Amino acid sequence: MSSKPNLDTTAPFEHPLYKTLEKLPGLSLGTASIDDLLAWGLTNSLWVFPMATSCCGIELMASAASRVDLDRMGTIVRATPRQADVMVVAGTITVKMAPRVLKLWEQMPEPKWCIAMGSCAISGDFYRNLYSVIPGIDTVIPVDVYVPGCPPNPEALMHGLLRLQEKVHAARRGVKVVRDPNPELMAITKPSIPRLCDAERTEELTRAQADDAMRVTEEQTSEPLEVAYAPSTPLPPVFAPDFAGLLRELGVDASSTEGPPIVPLARHYELARRLKDLGYRQYVSVVASHWPAGLGRKGKDDTEPEHYEIAYILRTVGRGSRVATWVVRAAIGEPVPTLFPLFAGADWQEREQYDLVGVRFAGHPDLRRLMMAENYVGHPLRRDFPSDAPAAPWR
Amino acid sequence: MLRTLQVERRVDPHLSIDRYDPEAELLLLHFGPQHPATHGVFRMDLYLDGEIVVKCVPYVGYLHRAVEKLCEVLTYSQVTPIVDKNDYVSPMTNEQAINLAFEKLLGLEVPRRARWIRTVFAEMQRIASHLLWLGTFAMDLGGALGGGATVFMHAFRERESIMDLFEEVSGSRFHYNTHTIGGNRHDIPAGWSGRVKQALDVIEARIGEYEAMTLENRIFHERTRGVGVLDGTLALELGITGPNLRASGVDHDLRRDAPFHAYDEITVNVITAEGGDCLARTQVRMGELRESIRIVRAMIDSIPEGPINGGKPIKLVNSIKIPAGQTYVAMETPRGELGTYLIADGSPKAQRLKIRPPSLHALSAMPYILPGGTVSDALAILGSLDPIMGEVDR
Amino acid sequence: MSVVVTALVTSLSILTAILTVTAWAIWFERKFVARMQSRLGPTMVGPSGLLQPLADLVKLLQKEDIVPEAADRRLFDLAPKLAALCALGAAAVVPFSASIVGAKIDLGVLYLLAIGAVTVLPVFMAGWASNNKFALLGGMRALAQSLSYEVPLVLSAMVPVILGGSMDVSKIVESQIATQWFIIGPVWLGLPAFCLFMLAMLAESNRIPFDIPEAESELVSGVTTEYTGMKFALFYLGEYVHTFVASAAASALFLGGWDGPFAPGMHWMVLKTFALFGFVYWVRWSLLRFRSDQLMRICWYWLVPVSVALLLGAGAWVVL
Ligand code: SF4
Repeated sequence: MSSKPNLDTTAPFEHPLYKTLEKLPGLSLGTASIDDLLAWGLTNSLWVFPMATSCCGIELMASAASRVDLDRMGTIVRATPRQADVMVVAGTITVKMAPRVLKLWEQMPEPKWCIAMGSCAISGDFYRNLYSVIPGIDTVIPVDVYVPGCPPNPEALMHGLLRLQEKVHAARRGVKVVRDPNPELMAITKPSIPRLCDAERTEELTRAQADDAMRVTEEQTSEPLEVAYAPSTPLPPVFAPDFAGLLRELGVDASSTEGPPIVPLARHYELARRLKDLGYRQYVSVVASHWPAGLGRKGKDDTEPEHYEIAYILRTVGRGSRVATWVVRAAIGEPVPTLFPLFAGADWQEREQYDLVGVRFAGHPDLRRLMMAENYVGHPLRRDFPSDAPAAPWR
Repeated sequence: MLRTLQVERRVDPHLSIDRYDPEAELLLLHFGPQHPATHGVFRMDLYLDGEIVVKCVPYVGYLHRAVEKLCEVLTYSQVTPIVDKNDYVSPMTNEQAINLAFEKLLGLEVPRRARWIRTVFAEMQRIASHLLWLGTFAMDLGGALGGGATVFMHAFRERESIMDLFEEVSGSRFHYNTHTIGGNRHDIPAGWSGRVKQALDVIEARIGEYEAMTLENRIFHERTRGVGVLDGTLALELGITGPNLRASGVDHDLRRDAPFHAYDEITVNVITAEGGDCLARTQVRMGELRESIRIVRAMIDSIPEGPINGGKPIKLVNSIKIPAGQTYVAMETPRGELGTYLIADGSPKAQRLKIRPPSLHALSAMPYILPGGTVSDALAILGSLDPIMGEVDR
Repeated sequence: MSVVVTALVTSLSILTAILTVTAWAIWFERKFVARMQSRLGPTMVGPSGLLQPLADLVKLLQKEDIVPEAADRRLFDLAPKLAALCALGAAAVVPFSASIVGAKIDLGVLYLLAIGAVTVLPVFMAGWASNNKFALLGGMRALAQSLSYEVPLVLSAMVPVILGGSMDVSKIVESQIATQWFIIGPVWLGLPAFCLFMLAMLAESNRIPFDIPEAESELVSGVTTEYTGMKFALFYLGEYVHTFVASAAASALFLGGWDGPFAPGMHWMVLKTFALFGFVYWVRWSLLRFRSDQLMRICWYWLVPVSVALLLGAGAWVVL
């Protein structure tokens, strides 16, 4: 995010046509009604550019469909920003996506408006404090109408569009319409993150506000009430006979009740290959987890060094489908043999675990980040990675 | 012939593009992340020789919302409404999957009535999800300003009736949050089953209409037959599940093969198709639409009486602590095997919670099955795989 | 002098009429489609949304005119104007009644086909000049498609020319009045030729199932991806006028023009044109679209041989 959007919207956009019209002889009388006409045209034909990223996008689609039918008010959906008047930001905007939204916004011709649909677009919803979501689209582009909800019903979106019509009409008729939240309102509602235009928005303020927000959450969740259900003691795991046999053959201790058997790194690939031959042909998943020093399978355990546990899951196909799950342990930085030669699906899965947790897979053909941007630093799903505001890059 | 229909050997997605005919002038087309047909924010870089795709490099993560991190921050019962948003086309099954994992580690028995209701919900959600898929897939093939849009509108009309029924149960149109650890939060209201049957009658009567516009349409066949052929072996290796796998001729459905909810008490006919192309995937989903209607009809009148959650006050669920342990639990959603790998450490929050999304695996087939097709095929294939980006990226 | 004045008045009124009709045709399409999709379509702007096209036009007039930095500015500006001009120019030779015709040219059919063929030029121009990959792909598809479909279009249009013994559209209509409509006279010749003509026309005016160049689900908006405001409106207009004129031409060449059972006159021509126009939209909103290679295959494997056969058949019919 290098360039900041132009926020100077006090002067409404003037099409060169207006000037020509004013200069025409004898038209000065008609200008007033022509102005009316122009305002009427602008108001009644708001074409939407669907910046639909997630769930709210589905409701946006639903509002174009039969029951609500935005076409009634002349609103159609255009696929290219060049021909749209309103950008409806429907869905969560991530750090990776935000620059693209800005670019698309800049590609729209003036006069243009923006509707933030849903809590994610308005404020980031419950993802706001996390490392990958921006706290509201109005930190990137100016918003005209906010439609709250998670997701807002199609009717709510329609209401938002009608409010936008009023606003457009007023703006065209010369009434000053503030595109950004007006200061008085902000004073009353005290949003925890001041918007782009706010002069008060300094580094310290943001930090303080973010801390504030986090403390509330901590208080709410730090002291749990008593357990309602008495959890039964976990039973020893039951393995499918062939898998159990294979584990015995490889000399793996499979008695742990706290999790799947731990297989030595050296035998890991062999186990997977044998399992594949045994009929475990479906690749299900790989789950890497980060265990900080002092945390073991049974809870606190001071003898445990910091390490990764990588769980693998395979499945047999057809009736009575069985699952084979095993775990390998790796020290920090220790490479784990990839399963890519056996299972093509390991490609993306291992990339994801490398990206988010930080495990390195030896022999992987293309170990790049999958979710985060290429130049991202850090592995967000490690236990020591903060889950609150300071980690959020948009602050 | 402009294109090869048979895939003789597996495409290597990591092969450098420099290995391609140096004489050819390739066009690099950035497709997405914001494109009318990418089903959300998905990007692929297509290397085109004319209109033929030579190589496809997909990029995901534009909707990475850090759900797994959030699940470590929140208590177990707070997680349910969060995961609703993952697969936003079938929120019901998301919450069911996550609660199944919690219940398994807790060793909780879910009351029979709750299990039946969950099954009904899951099947209805499958109907809604497949309808939405049908609409968007047709839109990929027919354009937003053409016949595709007509199918889309009709499919959405029917989907609304299911959403209304869910709204009646949970109070929300979209993200329901109606499941909780050990049972359901909301019982079904009086007279609900009658309305369900009414809605199903309407939908069933109209499936023929959709089929006339898609499966029985010559153009639809031309566009989908032999396009994006995915063979069963590759599908298994990639971890592709659900209708996409069954369309490749693999007879595998967790509802029958590893029953959860109340699926062990009823029979599920598994729909498969040979061919592994876009047409087969459509056939499977249309078949499942009918099958789901049959299942709901069979179950809706005989939901057993009894409590819908462990009989405990729901409020106390908020304080639940799960003993240290690890588990993997999977269920069949409209898109395939939605798994949850949970590592609990005895505190009220998960230590690590990994969601295994079927869509991510389905999407990873793109670089294997697309090369050799045209730009138009890219959309047909992408649409037929039915990826939901919220679930892919989480 | 008076000739010039008459010509001016006639052409201006035809122009106005066509533009107005096109505007309401857009309204009609939106309503029609909405009913097909169990929606309502525009209702809020004017009675039954009748003023919707006007509002769209007024809005588009006021939009900022963006020319991408890397675009070829001159071509980029020229393309939409040319598109609208070509489409409107074709209307000149369509006879709406025995007297209402913009220009009576002896080679009317040839002129019509020639102008129709030229329409692809601005489309490709736009695709090239936008400097956008989607637009370029769209432009190339349009070019390939138009060139292919030009062949069956011309050949099938030759059937009424041979049957009517003239290249003048009015004369063709008159000869239909004298004998019978060419669609049924003889039916084994006229009906297939008519169907071919309609198909090729759909392809030429980029309508589904032949709207590959636009293909908004694939190529965003195809060639018009980079166009804003009025320039886009011109393209849009050109497309509709093209469809409209082509429907009019089809009804003149095959359906007997202004001939009709009761009180022949212009209303018959308008009625037929609208019927064909509506048909085009009916097709458009119920079918999916082909892939471009399939389009080419259909054209060269089926349409071209059939149209050649029809042409020979027409020659034989007239000679025998
Ligand atoms: S506001 Fe809710 S429904 Fe909308 S995108 Fe965000 S999470 Fe999804």
